[in-house]
Amino acid sequence: MLKVGILGTGTMAKTHASAYRAIDGVQVAAFADSLPGTLDIVAKEYNAKAYTNYDELINDSSLDIIDVCLPTPLHKENTIKALATGKHVFCEKPVARTLEDAMEVKKAVDAAKGKFMVGHVVRFFPEFMVMKQMIDEGKLGTVGIARTSRIAAQPHGVKDWYENMEMSGGVILDLIIHDFDYLNWFFGKPKRVYAQGLFKKTQEEMDYALVVIRYESGVIAHVEGSWAEPSGFNVKAEICGSKGIIDVEPYKEAPLTINLRDPEVKQAGVIVPEAPVEESQYTTEIRHFIDCIINDKTPRVTVDDAIYALKIGLAALESIETGLPVNID
Amino acid sequence: MIKVGILSCAHMHAGGYAHGLQLLPNVELVGIADENKERGEKFAQHFNIKYIPSYEELIQKVDAVVITSENSKHKALTLMAAEQKKHVLCEKPISVSVADAQAMIDACKQNGVKLQTAFPCRFSPSFKRVKQVVDEGQIGQIIAINGTNHGSMPGGWFTDKELAGGGAVMDHTVHVADLIRYLTGAEFIKVYAEIDKKFHPELNTDDCGTLSMTMTKGIFCTLDPSWSRNSAYPVWGDVTMRIIGTKGVINMDMFNQKLNLYNVDDRKAQWLYYGANTDAGLIKSFIDAIENDTPVFISGEDGLRAMELALGAYLSAEKCQPVELPLVK
Repeated sequence: MLKVGILGTGTMAKTHASAYRAIDGVQVAAFADSLPGTLDIVAKEYNAKAYTNYDELINDSSLDIIDVCLPTPLHKENTIKALATGKHVFCEKPVARTLEDAMEVKKAVDAAKGKFMVGHVVRFFPEFMVMKQMIDEGKLGTVGIARTSRIAAQPHGVKDWYENMEMSGGVILDLIIHDFDYLNWFFGKPKRVYAQGLFKKTQEEMDYALVVIRYESGVIAHVEGSWAEPSGFNVKAEICGSKGIIDVEPYKEAPLTINLRDPEVKQAGVIVPEAPVEESQYTTEIRHFIDCIINDKTPRVTVDDAIYALKIGLAALESIETGLPVNID
Repeated sequence: MIKVGILSCAHMHAGGYAHGLQLLPNVELVGIADENKERGEKFAQHFNIKYIPSYEELIQKVDAVVITSENSKHKALTLMAAEQKKHVLCEKPISVSVADAQAMIDACKQNGVKLQTAFPCRFSPSFKRVKQVVDEGQIGQIIAINGTNHGSMPGGWFTDKELAGGGAVMDHTVHVADLIRYLTGAEFIKVYAEIDKKFHPELNTDDCGTLSMTMTKGIFCTLDPSWSRNSAYPVWGDVTMRIIGTKGVINMDMFNQKLNLYNVDDRKAQWLYYGANTDAGLIKSFIDAIENDTPVFISGEDGLRAMELALGAYLSAEKCQPVELPLVK
């Protein structure tokens, strides 16, 4: 039985906990949060220990895996501490808030006994896996233009840390780093970045960015990230090449809609679209990580992959401030 | 009765404009002049109008001309018509250089004739609704716009730099550039562009790119003018804008009023647009301005500003640096 301790009790912590629970031979054994409340509720639900101190969970010798689901600026310290205990570590994206921090994590990963993976979960979404396969098989020919979009309403995290741009890095480091990662997975090494956005430029409770990445292969990628939508969530991707075009808007693909009549109320009911899956992509991701641990495999997302996604994000933030393109080394 | 002649049908939009002219009861479409006899005669036959080999001769017979020649010939034809005191509706882009466009504007002004640039997208009912919602302040202040004007590679003179002044960026920047300026009332002050040739290696011009524009009023935008639509795609291209405001967001996909056609001989799915005829709106606006002697809705200056963005984009891509606008102060 592999025992998991989860740092944090927010949305991602709960998502990961339910993924671990779905996998045979894995048990969520502990949660840690600096604030009680949610901690007690989730610990009870999973019959797990509740720590109010991160270090105590990290040093719990009964645990095999530490899953870091904390606000971005806390990733480095807790990841490095957890790796030092010899445990396997899963860290939510982004790997760290700064490149310096990320390089320290890399050092710790290189010296560690345990496996390490960062939660760039899009690599486990079937539609993006098929997209990569089509690119790799040459169905699109030479790729010229990639356009992606990830748009949502502004999230409200604990103490509103999402809104604290300096902490979260805004929509660029928290949201569209997903797109940066899978674009790197598709197209290889990024060469330069030009970006425009609201980072540090607005008093409004929103963020918005338009990022252009030029790859060494020549691909021009355009990434839209929004926390400026009044409501909803949507994802789009379109890759255009000399021989083919592939596009997807996964949240618009609903094989099912359920329209229920409300006998109590005379007004129209609400139509709820659904896209049922055999397994959540987060579970697929965690299952892969567990497989890497048990069978000593290299995770699909390496620390270097996570660093390259972060490099694009940091270059985008720098470009927004300077108004100039930023080269990636 | 306003007498109108078409000068050259090198550009395929000549057909749409001829049709728009023939719809109007107060217009007599006198004829087509074209240096290419075969092309001109075919066009004349199709619209049941006279073919006149000489531009000068046709200009003598009319009150106004529609110029749909190759881009680099717009200037000479406009000057020829203006000197004979004839009004001009000129296909986009207005020209291929700031100096030529300015000469066209000056000539029409000096001769007291109207010069309108052909930006039919302003007459799209969807766009008119966008303009109304924005003007009413419903989405607050505009922060950013994410635009596309994708197309198929048109071939012919469009890929001859001498005649077209560029490739995809020259061809497909100006429509959305004009919509953005008209919608925001702001001007472009900086452009950064990544431009390449990835889809049609045989061309002598670019075929794809992404422009990042900074505007007055603190607005930023991007625009993808790529000829990225291949022959297997269900439609020729698109005009889309996502407009991000402080109080809301508008998504516009201008030609997304479509039937899906699946025909075995075509070997592909097709989208058949059934929306409004924007060419007819453009033509009617030009004729109304002549009839009522009012200012044109879309000026030569509007044409120049949109074209200048494309020229700035080419300069930027060459230098890998942002370029300030206007190019000529």
